[in-house]
Amino acid sequence: MALAQFIVNGLLVGALFAAVAVGFALIWGVVDIINLAHGEMVMLGGYTAYWALALTTGTARGGPLVVLATLPLVVGVLFAVGYLLQRVLVKRVMGTDVFLTLLVTFGASIAIQQLALRAWTANPRSIQVELADPSLVLGGVVVPKMKLVAFLGAFVLTGALWAFLQRSRTGRAIRAVSQNPEAAALVGIDVEHTRATTFGLSSAIAGAVGVFVATILNVQPQMGLIYTLKSFVIVVFGGVGSIPGALLGGLLLGSVEETVAGVISSQWTLAVSFSLLIVLLIVKPNGLFGQEASE
Amino acid sequence: MSADEGALRRVLPPERVDDFLGACDDYGWLILVASTVLAGTLPLAGLEAGFYMTFVTDLFLFGILALSWDLVGGQTGYPSFGNMAFFGIGAYTTAILVKDFSVGFPVAFVVAGGLAVAFAAFIGVIVFRLRGHYFAIATLGVLLAAQQVSRNLEITGGASGKILLDTPSAEAFYYLFLGVLVAEIALVYYLSGTRFGFVLNAIRDDEQKATAMGFNTTYYKTAAWMLAALFTGLAGAAWSLDNTFVDPQTAYNGAWNVELIAMALLGGSGTVAGPVLGAFGLHSVIVVVDTYATGWQLVLLGTAVIVTVVAFPKGVVGTLREYAAEMAYYERGGMAAANDGGDDPDEDSSPAGGEAG
Repeated sequence: MALAQFIVNGLLVGALFAAVAVGFALIWGVVDIINLAHGEMVMLGGYTAYWALALTTGTARGGPLVVLATLPLVVGVLFAVGYLLQRVLVKRVMGTDVFLTLLVTFGASIAIQQLALRAWTANPRSIQVELADPSLVLGGVVVPKMKLVAFLGAFVLTGALWAFLQRSRTGRAIRAVSQNPEAAALVGIDVEHTRATTFGLSSAIAGAVGVFVATILNVQPQMGLIYTLKSFVIVVFGGVGSIPGALLGGLLLGSVEETVAGVISSQWTLAVSFSLLIVLLIVKPNGLFGQEASE
Repeated sequence: MSADEGALRRVLPPERVDDFLGACDDYGWLILVASTVLAGTLPLAGLEAGFYMTFVTDLFLFGILALSWDLVGGQTGYPSFGNMAFFGIGAYTTAILVKDFSVGFPVAFVVAGGLAVAFAAFIGVIVFRLRGHYFAIATLGVLLAAQQVSRNLEITGGASGKILLDTPSAEAFYYLFLGVLVAEIALVYYLSGTRFGFVLNAIRDDEQKATAMGFNTTYYKTAAWMLAALFTGLAGAAWSLDNTFVDPQTAYNGAWNVELIAMALLGGSGTVAGPVLGAFGLHSVIVVVDTYATGWQLVLLGTAVIVTVVAFPKGVVGTLREYAAEMAYYERGGMAAANDGGDDPDEDSSPAGGEAG
């Protein structure tokens, strides 16, 4: 029974990891950049919601609907951040050495994280959600309601992104640029704008996940790198550019972490995740669902 | 732009730069010895323990770390985000041996270097199967995993780390760091003119061709990696006692790792003098910023990394060399000279480290 509880806990947080990783995979697949500042978008999203609530209502607490109402704002702000990150910075290193692109995004990650630290101190902050009856009990397994909302929210975000890529004109442009930027430019797609839009969309989703993270855990300026690395683990597992792979990878990573936390100790979850990263890179560098043999 | 360049050419003609770089190459060993003597006499000439001695000692420390990074990242073309893992292992080994087992510092120092090398050999077998993105991220994973393990074990003192008392004097560490730095510069400078150094550069330029030429590239890569680990581990070993305090956050400092890379790139990656000069320059800037705007140094670091990569990816030494080569290019008849190869300007490097800031 305990194991069932660990796995349910894992699936609940795993969906959030998955939604962050989907954006990471999208940037990797379309723009061919590994964005090491992706985790900072989760952090910025959480803080945006926190401050939106704290500045308008005076406290960082509210009913579930009030908290969810911050989502459009967060999505808008983080879209702008991601769009500008690509347009102003990442664009300048496109097509140079791979390592330089990693280094630029790592530098951006450090700068954003440290600025956040200067502005908001290192204290962890969280958004309190007022729910009448905080947890459900389903067949002996405890499911906190807000975690369930976050879980569903992560699926809705991922689904919305998928539908957007499949159905909308911009989504088709993004897929076209991912397949062949030159041909896309020939048929009149603004490649630079499309790449920046991809960055914006991915950051917006990461930011929205940040809101859920702020409600069920907390946000603090230095949380980003962990989310970036987890995204990397998930994408390597699921394959670059595969949304189902990223979803499955996220759920699996969450379950493994929570089981480790439950069986051994929560201290060891990060050590296990990072070791898993190395093992996966060695054993399956193209992912379980990867189509291309890129190296 | 062209007016600017014209002015620059008058003030600093490329052939002068070429002569200067050539002289650095010709008198490399002499420059190294002279700088070492100069740095060695500084404490006798009035540099006393305190802010300035700590500052110069830190210059040596970062010089060691940046040059070690560049041996694998710049010379061999395997840029790692995980070098600080060796540093942490060196630091913790010394701290544990000295504090819990009452081992003398010299013995602990040697053991720390040895353990860092052994760890590098073990990890090297695994990570050198990867390239590019995957290598960089895997090494970052190694660093963070090592940090987590140190945070969770009992023997390392957990998240709060270890406090070390009764450490040697600041002057002793000044000479120790200087000694390690000079030894490393001498070794890397020597290697850059040997077959070993050429094979490392060949691996960077085209690993498949290097393999086709019959070199066991895994052997060369791992050897370079172990050498880098040795010096990084020794630096960590000395740092732990000099700092009198070791904790997971600082000993396995990911931001430092990025700092080393910025130093190497800024000075000129793939050269001997570049990473050391880059370390001296960037660390000086960071210390100045930290003095006048405490707490902003990491913001500056992030910005410095971005600016370096975007505007200055070849670094000071690389840019100078390119500028100097321009004249030779015209003298030998432009494109025609480019085709007949000539002597390879990439391989000669000038050590000019050891000069105290």
